[in-house]
Amino acid sequence: MIDCREAVRRMWSYLEHALTADTEAELEAHLDTCVRCCGELEFSRHLRELVATSEGVPAMPPEVRARIERILVAGDRPATETAP
Amino acid sequence: MSDEAVAEARRPAATLPATETPADPVSAAAGATAPARPPFAQVVREHLDRLYGFCLRLSESPADAEDLLQESLVRGMRAYPELHDPHRARGWLFAIATNVWRDQLRTRGRRVQTTSLDGMGEDDDDFSLFQTIAVEDPFPYSDELHLDFLRLFRDEDVRAVFGSINPLFRLPLILTVVHGFSCKEAAAVLGVPLGTLLSRLHRGRKQLERGLWEYALANGLVTRMDEP
Repeated sequence: MIDCREAVRRMWSYLEHALTADTEAELEAHLDTCVRCCGELEFSRHLRELVATSEGVPAMPPEVRARIERILVAGDRPATETAP
Repeated sequence: MSDEAVAEARRPAATLPATETPADPVSAAAGATAPARPPFAQVVREHLDRLYGFCLRLSESPADAEDLLQESLVRGMRAYPELHDPHRARGWLFAIATNVWRDQLRTRGRRVQTTSLDGMGEDDDDFSLFQTIAVEDPFPYSDELHLDFLRLFRDEDVRAVFGSINPLFRLPLILTVVHGFSCKEAAAVLGVPLGTLLSRLHRGRKQLERGLWEYALANGLVTRMDEP
């Protein structure tokens, strides 16, 4: 049985579904008996949501998008079009 | 840089060093002749906003972010023939942007701090925001103590704390929590083993937790029990 310290170490990996089957089973067995770690797991979920929401994906300014489009269009144009 | 980038985009890819862009191992292993596929621009537009957001988080200013995005696209454009499966373009583009960002840091004589793996002491690893909130109890009459703590933070507060995390640990958080990559995908983007990614993710989380608590104290969002 893992202790609380190890359970906390595994929590974000657990939320990312990145644990192996064995380590995940050990964590879930711990969670079945530990109210405190269940609380911390729930808190971790909220903390991740806070970061995801706050960091988000900012809108690209129109002038930047226009400059990027010029590059993309130029790149897709056949080389013969740009030859002197 | 825009005009230079346009000119660069039109230059043939013959001299591109092989190490400048990440390989696409799955496609390469398949070894099949690539079928007709969409143009680079069409593939990129689907990911452009997220890629810009990623560049913005890596950079110190919007101008630097645009430079990073432009250079990444130029590099990606020239390496596009090597990407045999356009469905893998998202991770591939993020990997290119990460490599360009590293190159830019190197050019400017700066490095991502990697000392004492990675710059975090035992104090950080032992710190638990969940536990600290419970012990300090900043809202004695709250039924949702921990949630109430998180509700103190406006978006700009979180961004300030997030921006203070060592980039080495912030990157895995950005890729997984903000952009929804799996840990395996994020490890591939960063070119590190999965175990390294998980370790950095944990350290980033710990720096985030400590950062939020210290920010709350420094900005008067909470007061310690022993303070007047």
